[in-house]
Amino acid sequence: MFKGMPKIFWVGMAVMYGWCFFFMFLEMTIPELPLTKFMGVPACYIYNWIFGLWIVNIIVSFLYVKMEEKREAKQ
Amino acid sequence: MEVNPIVIMGALTYFAVLFWIGWSSRKASSDASEFYVAGRKIGPFVNGSALAATYFSPASFLGLPAFIFILGYPFWWALVGIIGGMPIATLLTAAPLRKYAPTSFTDYYADRYETKWMRLIAGIPTIIGGFAYVILSIVSTALFMMAILRLDFALSVVLAAVVVYAYIYLGGMVATTISTAFQGIMMTMASLLATAYVISNYGGLNGLTDAVLANSPHFFNMPYVTETPSHKLMSMWTGVVGFFFTWHFGFSAMPYTVVRFFTTQDINAARRSVFWAVILGGAMYAGLIIIGTGARVLIETMHPLMQTEGISSAIDVLKHMKTAFGVAGATVTDYSMIAAMESLKSPFLLAIITAGGLAMAMATAAGWTMVLNVLLGRDLLGKVFGNKWPEEKPVQCARVMTTIVIFVCMLFAFKPPALVLDISGAAFVVILCSCGPPLILGIWWTRATTAAAATNVLVMTFLSCFSWMYANSVHKTAHVFFLDKTIVTPHQFYWVFVGFIFFILVSLITKPNSDKAIQKYSLDLRPEE
Repeated sequence: MFKGMPKIFWVGMAVMYGWCFFFMFLEMTIPELPLTKFMGVPACYIYNWIFGLWIVNIIVSFLYVKMEEKREAKQ
Repeated sequence: MEVNPIVIMGALTYFAVLFWIGWSSRKASSDASEFYVAGRKIGPFVNGSALAATYFSPASFLGLPAFIFILGYPFWWALVGIIGGMPIATLLTAAPLRKYAPTSFTDYYADRYETKWMRLIAGIPTIIGGFAYVILSIVSTALFMMAILRLDFALSVVLAAVVVYAYIYLGGMVATTISTAFQGIMMTMASLLATAYVISNYGGLNGLTDAVLANSPHFFNMPYVTETPSHKLMSMWTGVVGFFFTWHFGFSAMPYTVVRFFTTQDINAARRSVFWAVILGGAMYAGLIIIGTGARVLIETMHPLMQTEGISSAIDVLKHMKTAFGVAGATVTDYSMIAAMESLKSPFLLAIITAGGLAMAMATAAGWTMVLNVLLGRDLLGKVFGNKWPEEKPVQCARVMTTIVIFVCMLFAFKPPALVLDISGAAFVVILCSCGPPLILGIWWTRATTAAAATNVLVMTFLSCFSWMYANSVHKTAHVFFLDKTIVTPHQFYWVFVGFIFFILVSLITKPNSDKAIQKYSLDLRPEE
């Protein structure tokens, strides 16, 4: 199953799920974590709104495109 | 609340651009290949923008802020789950399916599983989900029409159906791809502009957070760490995780996005188009989170209807809209996003938001209608039942199907069965648990069998539909486990995972497909090592 799937796919999955479930777990164990100030604003705007929603996914998506194009160019 | 000429001008400008695109592409759509898959000549950015506009339906634009309005901060994770599911599609389905280059969503099922009847079987949940989506798109278009023209809801539904019908009829996939790309940019701009208005209204993110907490003290509460949850559906981890997964795998396997992988120039363009869709979609969702977060406090402190006519809360404002415009069912809650924008009292903002909302609703309606008319005409009537009409006059056939689909959906839209996001969630779970495993594992697992594919689609369609409707009618919400209402399970999302396990187990005990089919439709579609 999934034989031939590029390794970068699993790396991207680990980054995306790792980020989401790590912070989800922290939120359910540390009271008021979303409202704790980080970089001058409630932390949830940083780890959820900016990174979890957008930046992490852009990075993963970019890696999938570039690494595959690089691998195909080598062939 | 009167009709505002600036809002009407904004909507008219949007329609003018849209119909110009439809009109200028009418010749291209006279050919079958152009009509169905846009001649496979769409570049990555245009296709990515079209992907975003199609995938992010009005269930996103209206429904997600409405659910944040109801459920609070924990629902932010649902939006993270939706965007997080997009990059996965790059290598899981976008590249393999573009390499295969079919015409229709059901082509893969018929070829990989070596029987034309898989078209019919896979078509069942697709038709259920497709009709649900066109209905919710017409409902949402009607809500925006209502906001612009202050028309009665029923009249708005008719107008919405006519507008959606006109431009699909004229353009087919060429019009829907190019105009949808325009719509993708439009809706992202609208969302970001609204975000800027909301944040600046409160003097920054800290000001917004303080205002939300002053209005709803439990808004940011997560399960287990506080005594009072933000909402009872967010009182256990299954609620947060369940909403995260309800739409998560949709970008990889939902028919209306999968068909957009077919329209790209090549595999590279298919992969890059996902990247652009993530950028545009992520930006738009960032805006929707802020709009949903600020919705209640905006409505309750600034809406023109507050403190008048005996209205004292956001719910009262929505109830007033329901009575004044005859909005049917629970769908008036979906108006909360528009009501929040009305609170900012900027006709320019409302003009952009309504144009963006119309863009989104029409793009999704068009995407799904194209899936349905190809499925009903070319696939079922032509390929399964041997009728020559779809082959001899494909465009005429697709247009007749479009007429039927839009008319039937318009009738249902007069009284929507649920909130737009609830209709969307149900459609996603039904299609993902039934059609998802045969598609994804068909590509990535040589042991996937015809018996497992057919059984999985039929069994999972029944189980997911039955459990959703049972929970909705008996427990009065589709978000609790149908056998035990104390367990929160949004949209019975667990069926997506059960579907994959069931498919694997049945495949292991049934006869594999021929070596030729496995080679051509599984091994050959994977990246060359």
